[in-house]
Amino acid sequence: MLLGWTRQSKRFERDALPHLPAVYRMARQLVGAEAADDLVQETFLRAWKYFDTFDSATNCRAWLFRILRNVWISRWRKSRLELPIPETEEEQIEPYYDWEDEFLRDEMSAETERALSELPADYRLAILLADVEDLTYEEIARVTECPIGTVMSRLNRGRKMLARLIRTYAESKGCNPQPEDFVRRRS
Amino acid sequence: MMDCKDIREILDLYVDGELSPEATVQAETHLAECVPCRSAVARLNRLRQIVKTTVGQYQPMPQLVDRVRQSTISRWRRPRTWVPVAATVLLIAVMSLFAPQIRGAVANGLEVAAFHLDDSRATVMEGKLLCRDCLLKEEYGYHAMCPTRGHHGSLQTRDGKIWHILDGEASEELIHNSKLLGRTVRIHGRCFRRASSIEVDSYEVL
Repeated sequence: MLLGWTRQSKRFERDALPHLPAVYRMARQLVGAEAADDLVQETFLRAWKYFDTFDSATNCRAWLFRILRNVWISRWRKSRLELPIPETEEEQIEPYYDWEDEFLRDEMSAETERALSELPADYRLAILLADVEDLTYEEIARVTECPIGTVMSRLNRGRKMLARLIRTYAESKGCNPQPEDFVRRRS
Repeated sequence: MMDCKDIREILDLYVDGELSPEATVQAETHLAECVPCRSAVARLNRLRQIVKTTVGQYQPMPQLVDRVRQSTISRWRRPRTWVPVAATVLLIAVMSLFAPQIRGAVANGLEVAAFHLDDSRATVMEGKLLCRDCLLKEEYGYHAMCPTRGHHGSLQTRDGKIWHILDGEASEELIHNSKLLGRTVRIHGRCFRRASSIEVDSYEVL
């Protein structure tokens, strides 16, 4: 039995713990800096508890994100009010026509962070998993427990919404402090 | 052959590397010739890069890394707190057996347990009545209480085994009448072999 624990500890240290920074930055975007530590700790506790069910041939980071999402939903998200994204619009992809504009600059980190926090949580999660963590659509679908078509739709809509929000905040910084009112919710 | 509309519809899949190899070739063929679509791709990539840089700037504090490590893998490596606690409890339990009152209580408890475990059966047993305490004093130097509490009769059978006579109405005389000590008696009753005890229904002095 002790040998089993030792072997599991070594595997956990090798496969799971190196992803702690990735889990942390994702947790921070989901619940904010103050609660991120607790979310990370609970995620890893649960991962440790069920580590014998993890298939080494699969992506451990994606597995951890899935646990993170489940913990987040059960502990944090349920306690907040959030309007569901209409299911009828889930699978639609809109072409990129009206959003392209030369406004994105490196120093827009604050605006980007604010815009991310204003995105619907499912859009934000899809964007973070794709753009920050470089997960494939299939892996994102598995983490978020939805069809690949929904992942595509969330990325498409989320990126457009994000770009508009960043632009709005950048423009409102000096001349117009009132952001547009198309998205207001946080989670 | 892809046109601008096609490209704009699959822009996400293209920048995310999710297009099939054939579709990627077609998209790149169009992008090589179309400046506005190439700009659209560049802007989308720029958005992705800004998100990555913004989110990636945060790192966990070393204390969090330690906390996670402590609550998972290190939990089984550090000395377990329950081991010394269990050892102390066991030591106290063993030590307490040397205290006379506790030792007596434990003995009584074991005796009760023995009766519960024993298979009793009807028996007729013949032997000599002896005082158990006097015998123990003679054999082991046991501090007998006979001068103050009186003798306590037990039965010694021919094979040398000493049987404890259980208290009861029928056994009163056998246990407490010191005049019967040294006499041979035949006891009718029940025998508790594992507890080395006899329950007396009747007896006769031979």
